Amino acid sequence: MTSATRSAARPVKPRPSLLVPLGIVVFLLLTAASLSKQLGIGLDAAGLIDDLGRGRPILEQLASPNWSYLPETIGPMIETFQMAVIASIIGCGVALPVSFMASRVTTSGRVGLFVTRWVLNVVRAIPDVLYAMIFVAAVGIGPLPGIMALILFNIGVVAKLLSETVDGVDPGPIEAGRASGANSFQTVRWGVLPQVLPHYVAYSLYTFELNIRASTVLGIVGAGGIGRTLFAQYKLFHWSNVSVAIVELFVLVVAIEAISIWLRRRLV
Amino acid sequence: MTAAATVAGGTPRPARPSQLRRNVALLAVAAIVAWAALTIDVDLSKLLRLVGGLARIFYRMFLEHGPDLTYVQTSLSAMVQSIEIAWVGTIIGAIFSLPVGFFAAKNVSSGAISNGIRVALDAVRAFPEIILAVVIFIPIAGLGPEAGALAIGIHSIGTLGKLTAEVIEGIDPGPVEAVRAAGGTGLQVQRWGVLPQVLPEIVAFWLYRFEINIRASAILGVVGAGGIGFILQQTIAYGRFPKAGTALIVVVVATILVDTASGWVRRRIIEGSQGAQLEALAPTTAADIAA
Repeated sequence: MTSATRSAARPVKPRPSLLVPLGIVVFLLLTAASLSKQLGIGLDAAGLIDDLGRGRPILEQLASPNWSYLPETIGPMIETFQMAVIASIIGCGVALPVSFMASRVTTSGRVGLFVTRWVLNVVRAIPDVLYAMIFVAAVGIGPLPGIMALILFNIGVVAKLLSETVDGVDPGPIEAGRASGANSFQTVRWGVLPQVLPHYVAYSLYTFELNIRASTVLGIVGAGGIGRTLFAQYKLFHWSNVSVAIVELFVLVVAIEAISIWLRRRLV
Repeated sequence: MTAAATVAGGTPRPARPSQLRRNVALLAVAAIVAWAALTIDVDLSKLLRLVGGLARIFYRMFLEHGPDLTYVQTSLSAMVQSIEIAWVGTIIGAIFSLPVGFFAAKNVSSGAISNGIRVALDAVRAFPEIILAVVIFIPIAGLGPEAGALAIGIHSIGTLGKLTAEVIEGIDPGPVEAVRAAGGTGLQVQRWGVLPQVLPEIVAFWLYRFEINIRASAILGVVGAGGIGFILQQTIAYGRFPKAGTALIVVVVATILVDTASGWVRRRIIEGSQGAQLEALAPTTAADIAA
């Protein structure tokens, strides 16, 4: 003890940053406001436990799926899958050049970079279901507005992930390309693309998973797929039919995710 | 080819690796895409109508009379409710996912428990928030923001629990051994050996999840689970486009503001004060300096 204070004194404890207590106060204020009845949503845990009984008859019906309804859900389920496939291929295709425009390594200039990033911010700020609502208003119900909504959603996700990957590439091959007289397209094609291609494929597979999940809900606003069937049965209070759609959705999502994870492991 | 290379005197070129696998994979993808594109029930004339329809909606939303400014107040308070739903949902997710993540991590939990919890987390994640709201929480809590917050909370437990477990599995085992060697109990090992290593990254995930949850809570109103989704759906479905335009602008601006604030805090947590300040002052220059 004495020797410690004399020779090898403990390092001075760093002063705690003021940001931490400030952050805690802000956090508590926001949470209190969000939970309160007047300012916020009024979450009432005790009331919820009482309410558990209210949902019970519905949950019981959900627990007993009406399998005779299964044939009617196959068509919409296939449509959901088709929407996800088409939207993934188009969305990821468009996102590839956009990512290069949105990365400072491969961009054409400061202005282009700034504009591309802001457009992407706006594209990502609009949720997929909101896109679907607008597209349904434009062309009417069906899978087309759903596909369009997913495409925009995909461009947002893939361009964000891939442009960040491009930001981190090894500059060596780019310099080598420039030194041997490659133009900017050739530099990107032979210096950058081979480095990010495995990531790009992995992100595309990941987006395909997200699409399967998202395309199940787009039908709620009339944009095709199993969501439309699910929501129609919900509005009729046919809970045991809703249950069939949910079980199927679950199986599809889990199966696609397992395949996609297996493929991604082999790629990266 | 190889013969020619050896004759020339140099070392022979390495054989080109087989492209068979890659080509088969590409062919399979192409076949699935072709099948989907050819059999899906989409009328090509609709594709042409889409452009005109979108132009008409855009014109009526923003250009004809401009967005309806009398609707700003309504849109803002609905968006605030959406943000509150996302906030409460994220907190529910954070509180429950932290212990769940510890039990799901293979290196601090036992194999059977970890596998069981992982399967449960996968199951929870399979359902989108809006479906959870429709089939479970609206029947229990009734229409309103409570159902929305619970749906987002449960889904967040699924995603955050998985991420937390993955972060814990990647820790440095040194501090854990040190606490054990100093006689720490099981709980003390987690508290002093594991938690300090993973907390910054986990808190960053919570904030990132909050950003994602804003997008989910903005549309939960479509099924009556609170927030701005309800007025978006009503105004768009009934052709009140100037009002819808106002609500759309409110959604985009609020989402970008929350993203920016949350992104700043995340960088501050992960990189410390210097990284965050540089990045906030001049996003491109700071990155140029680093590169």
